[in-house]
Amino acid sequence: MMANCTVRFMLGNHAVAHAALEAGVAVAAGYPGTPSSEIIEYIFEHAGETGTYVEWSSNEKVAFEVAYGAALAGARALVSMKHVGLNVAMDPLMSSAYTGVRNSLLIITADDPGMWSSQNEQDNRWVGLHSRIPVFEPYNPQNAADLVKLSMDFSSRLNHPVIMRLVTRVSHVREPVKVCGFGKPIFASGYVKDPAHHALVPANARLLKGELVKRWEEVKALVEDLPHEYVDDGSTLIITSGVAYRYVKEALEDLEVKASILNLVSPVPVPRKLIANAASKADKVIVVEEGDPVVEFQVKEALFDEGVRVPVYGKAEGLFTMVGELTLINVEEGIAKVLGVDTGRVVNHQQAVNAPPRPPVFCPGCPHAASFYELKIATAMARVKPVFSGDIGCYSLGINPPFNEQDLLTNMGSSIGLGMGVLRGTGGRQFIVAVIGDSTFFHAGLPALVDAVYNKAPMLIVVLDNRYTAMTGGQPSPTQVIDIGAVARAIGVKHVYTVDPFNVNEAKEVLRDAIEKVKGGELAVVVMRRACALEAVRGRGALVVKYTVDADACRACGICYNLLACPAITRLNNGKAAIDQAACVGCSVCAQVCPYGAIKPLGEPSGWLSKWGEL
Amino acid sequence: MKLNIYLTGVGGQGLITFASVIGQAAVDSGLRVTVAETHGLSQRGGAVDVHVRIGEAHSPLIPMGGADVVVAFELIEALRALPYTNPGTVLIANRRLIPPPAFRGRLPKPEDVEAEIKGRVAWAHFINAYDYAVKLGNPIFENMVMLGALFALTRVRELISMDAVEGAIVKVIGKAVQENLKAFRLGYSVTSARL
Repeated sequence: MMANCTVRFMLGNHAVAHAALEAGVAVAAGYPGTPSSEIIEYIFEHAGETGTYVEWSSNEKVAFEVAYGAALAGARALVSMKHVGLNVAMDPLMSSAYTGVRNSLLIITADDPGMWSSQNEQDNRWVGLHSRIPVFEPYNPQNAADLVKLSMDFSSRLNHPVIMRLVTRVSHVREPVKVCGFGKPIFASGYVKDPAHHALVPANARLLKGELVKRWEEVKALVEDLPHEYVDDGSTLIITSGVAYRYVKEALEDLEVKASILNLVSPVPVPRKLIANAASKADKVIVVEEGDPVVEFQVKEALFDEGVRVPVYGKAEGLFTMVGELTLINVEEGIAKVLGVDTGRVVNHQQAVNAPPRPPVFCPGCPHAASFYELKIATAMARVKPVFSGDIGCYSLGINPPFNEQDLLTNMGSSIGLGMGVLRGTGGRQFIVAVIGDSTFFHAGLPALVDAVYNKAPMLIVVLDNRYTAMTGGQPSPTQVIDIGAVARAIGVKHVYTVDPFNVNEAKEVLRDAIEKVKGGELAVVVMRRACALEAVRGRGALVVKYTVDADACRACGICYNLLACPAITRLNNGKAAIDQAACVGCSVCAQVCPYGAIKPLGEPSGWLSKWGEL
Repeated sequence: MKLNIYLTGVGGQGLITFASVIGQAAVDSGLRVTVAETHGLSQRGGAVDVHVRIGEAHSPLIPMGGADVVVAFELIEALRALPYTNPGTVLIANRRLIPPPAFRGRLPKPEDVEAEIKGRVAWAHFINAYDYAVKLGNPIFENMVMLGALFALTRVRELISMDAVEGAIVKVIGKAVQENLKAFRLGYSVTSARL
């Protein structure tokens, strides 16, 4: 069975996906989100070889239900998402603990400490305590692969779901990993009805709660025997979980101090007896973990209950940072403080010439930039001062100058709901423009649009339909199959428009018309449809007809570089514009906004633009 | 043995490919290696960094002041990387300044950036990788020119053979293999010739 094993240099997320395929995953579902997306992508690449069913779902709740239903039937299933995605899936997640599963359900959450690509840095290990679902946490790609197999077996042994908590520094770390051949996917032969366990009407749920509490005691006993790593080396005990283990090992080497280390496979629930035994030999305990003091609280509780009196230090005492990621230096400083040693580190931050900031920007030829430009002009011409209720996607970058068109931005699909709230909260006085992308629209915008129609909210909803889930790497989106304009009309929106943001004048007129409808007390939806530039150019680079500036015709008005802010357009010292030929993808928008006709295509552009328009 | 290589640049310059080639070559040479990357939104024309650690390292991230080598694909990003350096760091920078698109203030002059870097590290090398890549037909080869320079200038060469790197280029990149190999060799030879 372990034949054909090799060591491959691979991404943590790929190691997770490969291990799941080795372990016979039959059904895998997910919704894209950094840092989780490569798990489902990898399964897609290899599902043909194994016969595994894999899907990008419309949101995390649906993804969860697809995997959960498969596991209720008796298949081996996994669901994968980023940390905030798990909030969307909380409803079925809580139920899955009550019903349990047949075979295994692996719930993968990729947390983002440091908020590299997220709106918060919630620690989903809490969810395990909240729901009574055990949480396993790996510290590197190899360990992640090992724990995937272990947690699937653990899940099927107890018929109970298991959460795997990844973080950016495991998901997006590349290291050698031992990989073997894929297993045969474990499907259920049929669904055996069992409403007493699978239908949570109150009478059933009350009984199942009792079973869950009993099962949780069983989980607590079984986690004692997981392959936790313990190094007995001195009277200081450091308890770690996940990637923190790696920082601690290096910190001890750098500080040249000795300490015992206990790294936990399961931060929830912690192995209480193992911890009590190790702590009873120690004169102090330090807990190091990425995120919140989830392990620390449990350790303190366990030691109190077991009567082990030893001081415990960790995040709750402010020893390590509570905001952002752990770093080696942060971990060293915390340990050094408790041990009364010096880190000996001198870091020189003194700098005479400083680097200007370089935040992410819209790509050259991004249709969102054109849409935001047109929306800005159209609202100004209509003399409305809207609140721009924004959403999660590449278009969140519309928060930056020169656009400043993302005033609110909190969670997936929030644009429409929060927009309605501001509308109601201001007694209907505030003009609202909700801006939402296609994938986000299908994810959580749809129920909000239903609400807007049902409760008659006069607002403008702009759907930036770029045909892909672009921000997370261009995964497919339901818009490729389902027409958003048709959906809006079917729901009952009277004023629905679809327009190409690359037709600048037409787009402005459509937006003006829609704004007038909203002024008249109606709801309007404008779908601005043009595919993501990155996806359009991929594999079609040879077709691109680029644009250039005729320096004699350019009057240095700055409209192109100041109002579109395309990274391919630069301002020369004389104020005139120039186009970087390596960056231009021939979207034609700058040529349309130039009042002097100074920007011209290097060839006949219509072929390329219509090819792009087919996506 | 521990070798910390901190990579910095602008989204789209091929840092992850660069790191994957070194990582694969290290694995093929029987070395321990860990690479920590930036993905997602931060790639969109923003600053990106990648941490490469060869040998007996545990932490996935290089600590501030802990880089043995900095490879900067762009000059402003080289400046931003300086807190990762120490007086013994070898810093290799692409002599290319990409103005941050939305930035309205005054940009530092390339010569001031170079002077600042030289004042901070013992060994600073500036490579016209962009120009060489353009000569090879596509700026996309910039990263392999920089990889050649890394091998010419640092003790990476003592750990990983040129053959292992070339093998990794073939394995990891897979397309335009001859051009990428050519860019790597060019980066190596022009940099070696200057020493």
